[in-house]
Amino acid sequence: MSTYEGFLKAVLITLEITAIAVVLGTVFGIIFALMKISRSKILQTIANLYITIIRGTPLIVQIMFLYFGITSIVVLSNFWAGAIALGIHNGAYIAEIFRGAIQGIDRGQREASLALGMNRTQTMRRIVFPQALRRAIPPLGNQFIITLKDSSLVYLIGVSELFGRANRAAASNFMQFETFLVVGMYYLVLVLIFTWLLKLYENKLNVDGS
Amino acid sequence: MGKWKSLLFVMMAAMLVLAACGDDNKSTKDEDNEFGLVKKGKLTYAASGVYKPFNFEEDGELTGFDMEIGAAIAEKMGLEANPVTNPFETILQGLVANKYDAIIGSMAYTKKRAEQAAFTEPYYYSGGMIWVAKGNDEIKSPEDLKGKKIGVVSQSTYEEPAKTLSDDIQYYASDVVALQDLTIENRLDAVITADIVGFEAIDNGFEIKEVGSPLWVEQPSIAVHKDNEELRDAIDKALQEIIDDGTYEEISMKWFDRNLLDIDLEDAELLE
Repeated sequence: MSTYEGFLKAVLITLEITAIAVVLGTVFGIIFALMKISRSKILQTIANLYITIIRGTPLIVQIMFLYFGITSIVVLSNFWAGAIALGIHNGAYIAEIFRGAIQGIDRGQREASLALGMNRTQTMRRIVFPQALRRAIPPLGNQFIITLKDSSLVYLIGVSELFGRANRAAASNFMQFETFLVVGMYYLVLVLIFTWLLKLYENKLNVDGS
Repeated sequence: MGKWKSLLFVMMAAMLVLAACGDDNKSTKDEDNEFGLVKKGKLTYAASGVYKPFNFEEDGELTGFDMEIGAAIAEKMGLEANPVTNPFETILQGLVANKYDAIIGSMAYTKKRAEQAAFTEPYYYSGGMIWVAKGNDEIKSPEDLKGKKIGVVSQSTYEEPAKTLSDDIQYYASDVVALQDLTIENRLDAVITADIVGFEAIDNGFEIKEVGSPLWVEQPSIAVHKDNEELRDAIDKALQEIIDDGTYEEISMKWFDRNLLDIDLEDAELLE
């Protein structure tokens, strides 16, 4: 296997971790956003706790915590510990993105649909949420790009993703500057591709009208 | 008010759970899995992968002296070799948390580390050496390091001795980065690391030089989980076998043109 192929494999691991973290983060984000705007005090408190704790501690601490912290209960592989930690971390930020988007929808819309005879769940599902989702796309895209770059931190628990691979390559070829220049370009290209895909998606939503 | 009370409650509950997890760290052994290996039929061993020529990557593959010794030992034990990498700062914690069976990553035996892991006999000897930039004529002995900035890899055996020589220590994850900082003006005054690693860097064009002779002799050994003395003894036996049948010498000659176990320990100060 050449160094080049090794880097491509590492890119794949980076993308896998990012994808898992994005999916997990979005699921957590939606659940906790709905909990936070719900009428139940208990659900609100749980959501607030989650968001406060996760946003109040560094990602690197969360990764270490998940990898080393609960080994007597469940032993996670470094890949899964890293991906789940990133997912939980993202969930807190995505929850706030969704909450902001949902609460940003004009009250009149909600009142109108309730007046039309829809119940609260129907109002949320058919009227408020689709509009909120559209508004949430740009900040979500931003959060996904941050996730892609943050995934480099899982090198500290020994995952052979892009940054970890580059770090070891530099220790073997004795060329720190050149190696990290190249790895920086890998990340840049990935982010550019991602930004472009997002732009396409946003345009598509606009062209279709509603 | 109620929000903060429940936050405090959850935090305290979490701390209690963590404290309870503290010491009953049972190794995951089952009956048909000999030595309680992490992966059945495989000897999974860890190294930092950034310590050329002992363990490093070439063309995307882990290689080096440590890796070949590990492979030879696994073969003698009838197991498949499964090398993995983990940054050096967290390599012992990884072993304690059963992420791999052994550390074969140039980790020297010390009394302090032996509190956390079981060590085999040393599989080579190396010297801790002071390195400076090629043009540096100021530092000629360990005493000259007083007040100077010394670079070491964190959690390495060079950390404690460096602290006794100077108050100004800079920590690294890789020896190569530390040695490279020597060649950049005003970054570092000296680096303490193994003689062999410094000479390898010089061979790769680094403008550095050694100060005097090695300060002490270290005994890099293979570490396994503290409770797993069966595995430790089996590795020790396999190590002795590869030394006796010449495999060890062959690997050592290939990487260093000499046998790393051939060393006069008569007057040497052994690092513990």
